Order: sequence, then structure tokens, then C-alpha cells
Amino acid sequence: MGLSDKPAERLPVASSPPSGVFGAGTPTFLTTRLDFVVNWARRNSLWPMPFGTACCAIEMMAAAASNFDLARFGMERMSFSPRQADVLICAGRVPYKLAPVLRRIWDQMPQPKWAVSMGACASSGGVFDVYSMVQGIDTVIPVDVYVPGCPPRPEGLIYGLMMIQEKIRQERLSEHGTLRAEDPAAVARARADADEVLALSGPFGNSTRQNRVSGPTGSDASDRPDDRIP
Amino acid sequence: MPASATVDALRAAFPDAVARDLVQSGHQRVVYIDPGRNAEVLDWLRTDPGERFNLLVDVTAVDYGDGRPLEVVYQLWSIPHRKALRVKCELPLSRLAIASVTTLWSAADWLEREVYDLFGIEFTGHPDLRRILMPENYAEGHPLRKDFPLRGRFSRAEQTRRALSQDMEQYYMPEEMEGRGAPQIVPADESATSAPGNSDR
Amino acid sequence: MTRRTVEIPVGRGAEMGMDARPAMGPLAPVDVAEPDIGSERMLINIGPQHPATHGVLRLICELDGETVVSVTPHIGYLHSSFEKLGEYRTYNQIVPLTDRMDYLAPLIYNCAYAMAVEKLMGIEVTERCKVVRVICLELDRIFSHLLWLGTTAIDVGAFTPFLYAFQERERVYQLHEELTGARITTSATRIGGMMSDLPTGWAEGVREFIDTFPRTLNEIDALLTTNAIHQGRTMNIGAIGPEDAVDCGLTGPNLRASGVDYDVRKDRPYYDYETYDFEVPVGENGDCYDRYLVRMEEMRQSVAILHQALDRLPDGPINVEDPRISLPSKTDCMSDMESMIHHFKLIMDGIGAPAEDCYFSVEGSKGELGMYLVGDGGPKPVRWRIRPPSFVNLSAIAKLAEGHLVADLIMINASLDIVLGEIDR
Repeated sequence: MGLSDKPAERLPVASSPPSGVFGAGTPTFLTTRLDFVVNWARRNSLWPMPFGTACCAIEMMAAAASNFDLARFGMERMSFSPRQADVLICAGRVPYKLAPVLRRIWDQMPQPKWAVSMGACASSGGVFDVYSMVQGIDTVIPVDVYVPGCPPRPEGLIYGLMMIQEKIRQERLSEHGTLRAEDPAAVARARADADEVLALSGPFGNSTRQNRVSGPTGSDASDRPDDRIP
Repeated sequence: MPASATVDALRAAFPDAVARDLVQSGHQRVVYIDPGRNAEVLDWLRTDPGERFNLLVDVTAVDYGDGRPLEVVYQLWSIPHRKALRVKCELPLSRLAIASVTTLWSAADWLEREVYDLFGIEFTGHPDLRRILMPENYAEGHPLRKDFPLRGRFSRAEQTRRALSQDMEQYYMPEEMEGRGAPQIVPADESATSAPGNSDR
Repeated sequence: MTRRTVEIPVGRGAEMGMDARPAMGPLAPVDVAEPDIGSERMLINIGPQHPATHGVLRLICELDGETVVSVTPHIGYLHSSFEKLGEYRTYNQIVPLTDRMDYLAPLIYNCAYAMAVEKLMGIEVTERCKVVRVICLELDRIFSHLLWLGTTAIDVGAFTPFLYAFQERERVYQLHEELTGARITTSATRIGGMMSDLPTGWAEGVREFIDTFPRTLNEIDALLTTNAIHQGRTMNIGAIGPEDAVDCGLTGPNLRASGVDYDVRKDRPYYDYETYDFEVPVGENGDCYDRYLVRMEEMRQSVAILHQALDRLPDGPINVEDPRISLPSKTDCMSDMESMIHHFKLIMDGIGAPAEDCYFSVEGSKGELGMYLVGDGGPKPVRWRIRPPSFVNLSAIAKLAEGHLVADLIMINASLDIVLGEIDR
């Protein structure tokens, strides 16, 4: 054993107070910024609310299981009740039938709260540019981090959650009044107004044909009369 | 076309209910029957000791577009005799109704509801015929019909608004479900301009 | 006022209807008046966002105390309109949709779809492709059953099997990734063959997995099979007899647990399943415990099939050698013009299917997985219908759960092994 080869050097501070650094006569406080300590506490004890619907939920479970172990980031308690949750992880496709459920869960979460949109379908509708699918959950709730992938690997989700932690680290308490302002009238309503929904859910390149089929706005069927090539 | 004992027996039992039969994809036997007598014929297929098609594998429908009749398709499998049969009924677009087979197989319950939801075919005698996959307040019609555009009839903004106006507290009990299956009424979508080309096929 | 006989500690106090004198002796049965609480039924909503529903399933339960009087499932919260989308895609473009439908066993769905299209088009795949697909099918049967095992164990309060099962699943993820580049959304098949041939060393990787996996399975088996809590939670819960099970359209392990010996691999063999030596486990009681036993045994049988398939894995081409179906090799595309044009034409035009219809089913991990395709001569199907096994299995839950406790409802739901992506499609 290497340790037993020579006697360990004693710490110099340990000579006068025999019981360690925090013994008699040493200061028992430390100075820091309030912002820092609040954010440090918050970002290392985030409780995720797993709103898992489809394939991404399986990767989210894999992220929570042994090999990837989300618990290393202070997230070992998956909070299945939104009332005790801090981060909403929306993993998977969200059809219109599920949209009010997602909105209600978001409304039930107490401030401060953050949202991660995991996977292509939650972020943009993905391959499902169809009648039943919400084209990006950011039309329904505000989203902080989008994790791309179909589905993202667990590492991707972990990276997204670390970005949330970084975002929290940069927050300032003095800004919380504006950051956390919530309009009670916005409860159970879509986050985006009609124009923004149209703009956000506009088609892109590969949605029904192999080339770009229309401009940046307009998502209803009338914009593209030749969707179905016979 | 090789003869099939099942089809011969079926023709003998119901000389005027069997319209025609085909062989598809190599060896798969398809029988077209009179939609007015589907329950009767299927019951015979289920119970006749020589047939015993006791497993209703699937009920679905096919819309070929261009105003052609919709087909209701029953996939049957006989566990004792290890044979399959596909039974089809053609329904004209003017009268999309057929007798339910839920009394013969409980499995038909949800399968018929799905066909009703996505194609608008009414199954008379079904105990609980209402939408199963689409929301209760869905007003754009029946999505798997060929005249339905891939992205729905309403604009995305209107679809989002309607989705969030769903009543989350609603629940259904079977006795509340009486009188369902009304013909579809599609209200106008105010927030989008309707243009030609909505019906793309 | 009703009366019932209960055992109470004698002399507990005046509130039990006795005088307050302490009494010696063991517990003695006494008659107490049971208060008549004018029973009122309660409606409880479970889901659509609930950890125990295994997805976005919503159950409306009518309860009498803690007993389920009736349960009304609500589905459609994950309706992604695969079938409609498929009508706008060429046959090969549909393959990536299939694995997003059942993300617990993606390769089974890839294979089932490709096999149905090949049946419709009359394509006979190569011997090597058949064996490779059998390996894919059986590997993902294990993959899917493992997730079921882990999550169901959580539902009965056992967390360790979840971690064990996910350790093994990670190894299958690894195999998926080596084969296709993706962990879940594999899209491994193409019409007439596979995306590519097996990578070097993959077959040995599968061999190593099936050599060591049974040990973990035995460990989970030791934790659960004779566990009194697990048995108490599953035995005689949600039992269904053989006639009722067939009537409800159950297939797969759920049907076989009720004692009906129907397995598509045996009854309508495809890919030479009749030449593999394996057993189909059949239960007796049709309760949650039998469903558990059937699935555990199926995993062992899948391991046996995998051993045989790896032993007989033939050499030769993986794709059919028909220029109308298979793409030319990438090297050819980059070096000669004809192959480039050929590649372009196949990708842009797709492969035409005859104007016929075809129903083809395989034994999926959840039950009979059927694909019904209607062609019209063009490169896109007129109708692509998936016969969803867990959709039909779930429709029986109202019958299964009636009269059980709420906690048992969760167990029954878990034991049916549902996947909402495929139920709602």
C-alpha cells in the first residue's frame, strides 16, 4: 500500500485546533452571493416531471436506469406529480387530443419551472405533419431547451438537462419578478396566438414530398393543393 | 382459381348472399358478401362445425377514393381448423351503415368503433358507437377517407384552439352514450380561408 | 344495518362497542355493528399522464369503496395517423414509420411490414435474409418482454428487476446500434432484404448476449416467480377463460396464458419457423401470474431459436438480386452512370405493387401483428392497415378488471403488455 510507506503530512491548520478546520476559533461562515447559492441549490435538486408519451419516453427511462443514471445530476426522484416538479420533460409525440393535458400539467407545476422538449416530434412535429399532431409543443407551453433526435440518446437528454442547469446558474434573483411572471388568464390557453401557431407549424422540406414545397408560413392543406401525387 | 371448400360451403348455405370470391397475393381467399346479411353469414362462419372461424382477427375498412364504394373487411381465423378467410362488404357512399357483429365477437367492439371514427361507417346495433381515437369534439370529419387532406381541414391555429378547448373533466358512462352515432356535421373553419384543392383526391 | 364478524383485540376501547375494561387473552372474535355508510360510487380518473398506465392511457373507474365496478378505457391520446401517412409514402418510405409504432420491439415491426409488402409483390427473399430476420424477430421479442418485465415488476413494488432488465436491454440497444446505427428507431428492413448486411462480429455479439442473458433471467426468475408478494399480487387476478379470451380477440402470450395454443409461428409458419425446434408455452388459468410465466418461458424459447438461427446462418446475398427492387451498391452508384440512374429511379419512383390486397401476420411480442396492404399498381399503398395486437388485447380490460381492487387494475393493465404507440397508431 502506498499510503503506509511514509507518515501522512498533517494539515498545518490542524495543529492548533485539534478537531479540524471548523474547530474553536475558526470562522463558521462563508460569504457568497445570494444569487449563487440559491441557483446552486436549485440546479442541483431539479425534480423532473416525466411527461413521456412515445419512443422518447423509453430513452428517458434508459437515462434514468443504471447505465446513464440521471440521479448523478440530482434528478433521481422522478416526480410523477406535477405539483412537486421543477422540470417538465416532454418526451414524445403530442397529438391534439393530448395538448390540453400537457397544458394542464404545465399549469399545475409551481414556479420556478422549466420545460425540456425531448425529440423531434415534441419540438416540431417531426415526421408527423398530419391532422392529429401538435406541430411543436412550444405552441402550447413555453419551452426552455429543445433536444433534437429521433429519439435522442440518453446522453442527449442529459446534455439538455445540463443546459437547464446552466440556464439556472445564470439567473439573477432580481430578475425573478419578470422571469417568473405568469398571467392568470393564460392558464389552459395556448402559449402562441393564431399567427404564431401558423408560423411555427409551417411545413418544411421533407414533410410530404422530397423537395421544399412552400414558403415559410401557412400550414393548412389549402396551401399545397398537390399534396398527394397520384 | 383453385376451389375452396369454405367458399363452396358458404355458397351452398347462402346462395344469394355471396357476391364473388377472389384469390389475392398467392393464396389468400377473399369473399364478397351482401352487406345487408353480414351478421348472418359471419355467424354461420363462426359456428358451422366445418368452419369454426372463432377468432375475429380484424375489422377495418378501405376507401378507394373517386366515389367508389367503401369496403368493410373482416379478417377471420379458425383456431381449430387453422385456416384464414377475408370477408368483404361493399358499402355505397350514400349509405354507410352495416350491422354490428359485437354480439358474435366481443373483439369487434373497439375495432368497429375505430372504423366508425376514421371512416364514418355506422355499425347499427353497436352498444357504444362513438369516437375512439379522435377527440370527442373533433369536427373535421373522418380522417381516413380519401377526401380528407393529410393535415386536416382546419388550419393549425384552429386545430390548436379547438384542442385546448376540450373539456378535460368529461367522462363517459355507457348509459350516457345512447343516441350516439349521429351523422357528421362539419362546421366552417372561421380562421382559415377555404380554397379549392382541399379535397385533393 | 348489516353485521359482520371481525377479529379485534379485546378491550381496545369503548369505540369498538365493548366496555373499556382491559381483558386478558388472545384475539377473540366478536360481533360489531358495521356502520351503514350509504354506499356511494366514486368515479376515479387514472391517466392519461400516470406512471402506472404504461403510456398515455386514460382509465375512468367507477369504484365501490376500493372495488372496481366498471372501468372505461379512453385511448387516442397518442394517435399519430400512421395509416393515413402511409398512403402518402412509397413502400420503402413507410419502413421508418413502423418502428415508431412499437418502440418496444421495433425490429419486429420492421420485419412484419417488409414481409407483408413482399407477400403482396410476390417477392421471395434470400435464405440469408430469412435467417437474419428470424434473429431480429426473436431478439426483439426478448427486448420487448424485458421492458414488460421491468415495468411490471415496478408495478408490484419490485424495483430490482427493472434495473436488471434494463441492464440487459442496454446490451440489445448496443446490438441494434451496431446493426442499424440507431438504438430504438432501427428501420432495419427494406423491401426485398435488409438495410445492409450484418456488420462484422454482430452475430458473435448476439451469441454472447444469448449465452449470458439466461443467467440474468434466472436471477429475475428467482426474485419474482416464487416471491410471495408477487404471487399474491398476480395469482387469480384478472383471470379469463379460453372461450372468453378467443371471444375478446386476445392473441399472443395473453391468449396462450388462458390455455389456447395459438401461435402464428406454429399455425401459419413463415421463414421456416416449422424447422426450428421450440416450444410454445401455454398457461392454464389465464391470470396475471400465468401471463408472467408464459412470457418468461417465451424469452427462454427465443434464446433457443436464436441459437439455432445463428448456427444455420448461411452465406450469400442479403438482398434479392432484382434490379427493380434492390438498390445497387453504393460503390457502383459512385462509379458508373447506369447504377446512379438506377438508384435515382428506384428512390424517386419507388416500387410498384399490384392492385391486390394482402394480409400478413407474424407473432409479435404482444400478439398477432398483422399488416393489411391494398395496392393499386402504384408505388404507394391505397390502404395500409396495422392489425394492432395490444389494441385488441386492451379492449378486454373492462371485462378483466371488473370486481377487482384498484391496485389489481394496475397489475392487470401491466400484465396485458400494451404499447400505446401501436394502440393509438
